[in-house]
Amino acid sequence: MSRLSRRSVLRGSLGLVAAGAVTRPYIANAAATTATVWQPQGFIPEEDVAFRAMVADYEKASGNKIDYSIIPFAPLRQKAVSAIASGVVPDEISVADFAFAPLNAWGDKLIDLSDVVESLTSEFSPTALRASNHYNNVTKRRGYYLAPTAMGASPFHIWRSLIEKAGYKTSDIPNTWDAFLDFFEPVQTKLREQGMRNVYAHGYQLTTNGVDPLNTFNAFLIAYGGKDLVTPDGKLHSDDPQVREAAVKALVKLTTPFKEGFVPPGVVNWNDADDNNAFHAKLIVMDYDGSISTELALYHKKEEYDDILTRGLPLGNDGKELTSQILVFGSVIPKGAKNVAVAKEFVKYRTEPKTLNATLKSGLGRWIVPVPAIVKSDPFWLQSDPHLTAYAQQTTVGPTMPVYESFNPAIAQVNAEHVFSVAMFDVMNNAMAPEQAVDKAFKRAEAIFEKYPIGES
Amino acid sequence: MDSTSVLDIGHRARRRTRSRYWRGGLRGSEYAWAIAFLVPYAGVFLAFVAYPVLYGLWMGSEASLYSELLSDPIYLSTVVNTLLYLAIGVNLKMFLALLLSGFFMRPGWWMKALLLIYVLPWAVPALPTFISIHWMLNGDWGLLNNALYALFHIQGPSWLGERWLALGSAIISHIWKWMPFWTVILLAGRMAIPMEIRDAAKVDGATGLHSFVHISFPLLANLYLICTLLSTIFTLGDFNSVTFVTGGGPANTTHVLATLGIRDAFDISQPRLGVAAVMSALPLMIPLVILLMRKLRTTEVQL
Amino acid sequence: MSAVTTGTRLAARGSTHRMRRAALRRRFAANAAAMALAAVLIVWSITPIYNMVMVSLEAEGDVFGEHIWPPKPSLDGFWVVITQGHWYLEYFWHQFGNSLYIGAMTTILTLFIGSLTSFSVGRMRVRHGRLVINAALLTYVIPATFLAIPFYLIMQHYGLANNPWSVIAANVAFATPYAIFIFLEYGRSIPIELDESARIDGATPSQVYLRIYLPLMAPALVAVGTYALLLAWNEFLYQFLLLSSKSSMTVPVALAQFLNSDEAPWNYMMATAIVYAVPPVVIYYAFRRRMAAGLTMGGVKG
Repeated sequence: MSRLSRRSVLRGSLGLVAAGAVTRPYIANAAATTATVWQPQGFIPEEDVAFRAMVADYEKASGNKIDYSIIPFAPLRQKAVSAIASGVVPDEISVADFAFAPLNAWGDKLIDLSDVVESLTSEFSPTALRASNHYNNVTKRRGYYLAPTAMGASPFHIWRSLIEKAGYKTSDIPNTWDAFLDFFEPVQTKLREQGMRNVYAHGYQLTTNGVDPLNTFNAFLIAYGGKDLVTPDGKLHSDDPQVREAAVKALVKLTTPFKEGFVPPGVVNWNDADDNNAFHAKLIVMDYDGSISTELALYHKKEEYDDILTRGLPLGNDGKELTSQILVFGSVIPKGAKNVAVAKEFVKYRTEPKTLNATLKSGLGRWIVPVPAIVKSDPFWLQSDPHLTAYAQQTTVGPTMPVYESFNPAIAQVNAEHVFSVAMFDVMNNAMAPEQAVDKAFKRAEAIFEKYPIGES
Repeated sequence: MDSTSVLDIGHRARRRTRSRYWRGGLRGSEYAWAIAFLVPYAGVFLAFVAYPVLYGLWMGSEASLYSELLSDPIYLSTVVNTLLYLAIGVNLKMFLALLLSGFFMRPGWWMKALLLIYVLPWAVPALPTFISIHWMLNGDWGLLNNALYALFHIQGPSWLGERWLALGSAIISHIWKWMPFWTVILLAGRMAIPMEIRDAAKVDGATGLHSFVHISFPLLANLYLICTLLSTIFTLGDFNSVTFVTGGGPANTTHVLATLGIRDAFDISQPRLGVAAVMSALPLMIPLVILLMRKLRTTEVQL
Repeated sequence: MSAVTTGTRLAARGSTHRMRRAALRRRFAANAAAMALAAVLIVWSITPIYNMVMVSLEAEGDVFGEHIWPPKPSLDGFWVVITQGHWYLEYFWHQFGNSLYIGAMTTILTLFIGSLTSFSVGRMRVRHGRLVINAALLTYVIPATFLAIPFYLIMQHYGLANNPWSVIAANVAFATPYAIFIFLEYGRSIPIELDESARIDGATPSQVYLRIYLPLMAPALVAVGTYALLLAWNEFLYQFLLLSSKSSMTVPVALAQFLNSDEAPWNYMMATAIVYAVPPVVIYYAFRRRMAAGLTMGGVKG
């Protein structure tokens, strides 16, 4: 089925004969044409180098030209939003946030990439595929509006030396959720007794800046059984007592250490980088943060790099494995793109598992290749580095789910408004009861969801 | 944008003699030249001022945007912040600038040296200094709390972690950046008060406060008012101090309309809503502008 | 000196002495108060700048320490900036060049367009010139920040996205009205007879503009030029929205990028900020007198 539709679409859009192209990317050798591409800047210089090399390979193979701009994350987001609003769009955008694709798929501003993605379904991680599938409110159908190129979970990052200085061993760290988190509080107390006036147990990002607080809240919500806040059908389940109870527990677990002085008081207004900064400065013993960028920033400082313990989620309080929410990034083609044919072909080329593996490995494994078979077969991912092993295992081996945005774009606005961070702040600074804060947050979320009804045909 | 335009308004306000222009009218080709000389500015104005203004008005013209804006839980607190920002930021800044401009009238080389240091905040680019202030106010590792601890052994608060402290910090930062500028303007205004008037007041035994209330202030009142109105408009558009000092946080409690507009446009991905957010300041702006224009016109007529 | 001797002296010299002493004491008190105020003002003005310098002199890990002076001050941060030795700073001089280019173009165009307009309106007294001036004043009515979003979208239509000329256009649009006002005002001090005699000698308006008007306007041009350059140097929002690739960015935009990353080397960031702050401060102090002369020409006399 997928093979048929792929063929027909390719024939229609590219006008090329595709034969025996299951393993090799399709290349149009027609007259050379140019596609404009917006690419987010890599985390380390090597990522940009790898991207450039990949583009050069593509150009050589296809005879087409890729006119790319490598843009840092925040301006790329702004440019992308404005491009859609103004109608002057590039041919391909590699998006680095989770709101853009679902929101614009909803508004029918993106080209359906199902033909590209469906050729990959057998190889790609189901979670990555699920995260790339969005609802279009004009056609009233779901489709692949994103072609996944990278994914990653959020692990815990822990300083071994601080644990040991406090008189513990890393093997003392319990493996169930509450006990795991609570372990770090006496560590802080012990370290304080040794004169470290500014050290804190946790570095929870309880702020309204960036994506860290969203990942943090969701992880806690899931840990207490609130995974179904939004279900794959796009429905919000704020009326589900189990979800509500989980949200209350998550709020309590996040805000109590803050009130008790186990989290730096500044977290309520930290920027995205501040938890990494504080962690690197050994002001916090444990941090929960997406990907292993925290470790990789110290890649060239061997001693400190090795001093960090990276680990995935502990077991739930009931002893069962916890589901990790996975961040998925990928390519989109906006409607109005001048050269859809080349753009699609380029997307197809770059999402080829082997190409992805090469590109992501050059990024030191900050993001994981969304193809489980490769993660398992290429020793780089699970055997070369303890940080990467823990992270790749959490991302591909353990139970996973995508972020809620792909289920319903309403959550993108809920998150952009940081509705749940505001709830935390209500509890921490405005002395609101957690139940009341959750009700307030749910009410706002419901109001936003009303604007995004999903009725699949 | 910057606000140096005040000085010329001071001039216009006190135009002494009607200047003479090119007499005898323009001859044929000269008229063409005169028009040609206007073309560049007319082009810039139409393409980069008039068109964006109209485009903005069109973008923000949908009524539904405003009901959406009102349903945003932080919209009202943002309006309150904006009003506080204007009421405190503008008036405190202008009043202190007025007093300090008197202080800088004191004679002596060291006053001149002090003035050089005092204008530094204005001369240094805005963005780096605001980022520096943000860092300095960090409750955990900022200079301010480190200094409080080193000097007095007090653990300072988390300056940016609470609404009123954070909003206050943003307002103080704005004052820090712009007060020197207005002080210099008002100082120029004071310097321009003829020596004879000041001396005559001195002979009559007028001292400090008395001389200020009865002589300097009436002469400066007009300039002060115009400066305050202009400063209000500029402050309304001040995006940098809030963005870089508090980032609108904690928990979105310190946004002003200028930063809310950018957030709605790009974080919420709704450019029109962003335009509507800033446009909702129009009811406040229009009376201000009318007042300012009238003030300028009447001042011109009088003098 | 004992109270007795003081007493006898007072008795001998009488009340004038007492008054002079009182005046002296008052002056001393006033001076002391002035000194105290001066000290407060210095601390007030310098603290955030001191913080920049302090952080820039610290080693990476020390940035988070509890000190009010770097434990081991070093100029490494500056060295890294100057040699583009960090990944965030790989285009530093290029970006600095972008800032300079935008500043220079803004300055030149503002002076050119502003002086042409003021010449036409103020010297040639073209009919309806007043209309142009009123339109220019309107520019200041809406804060530039409020126009950023429509401006951005329009630039996409003009095909100027990610192009320094879009920023230059915005800067010029907002700086020119000010230039026009200053030039009109300053021009009043230049006798119109100069223009007229040149005109009688057969000079075209463009010759009058180039050979008579511009040279005589020099002080005002310097003042406005400095203003335009500082405006371009201080501006952030438009540069942030309109310039996006690393190679087209200006220094402030690159600085803001430090805040959006996973790792923020604050010492390098502050060193970058200081290097960026040098040109405007130097220019401001170099042209301070001429700037004041140009701006306060004619003064605000009553």
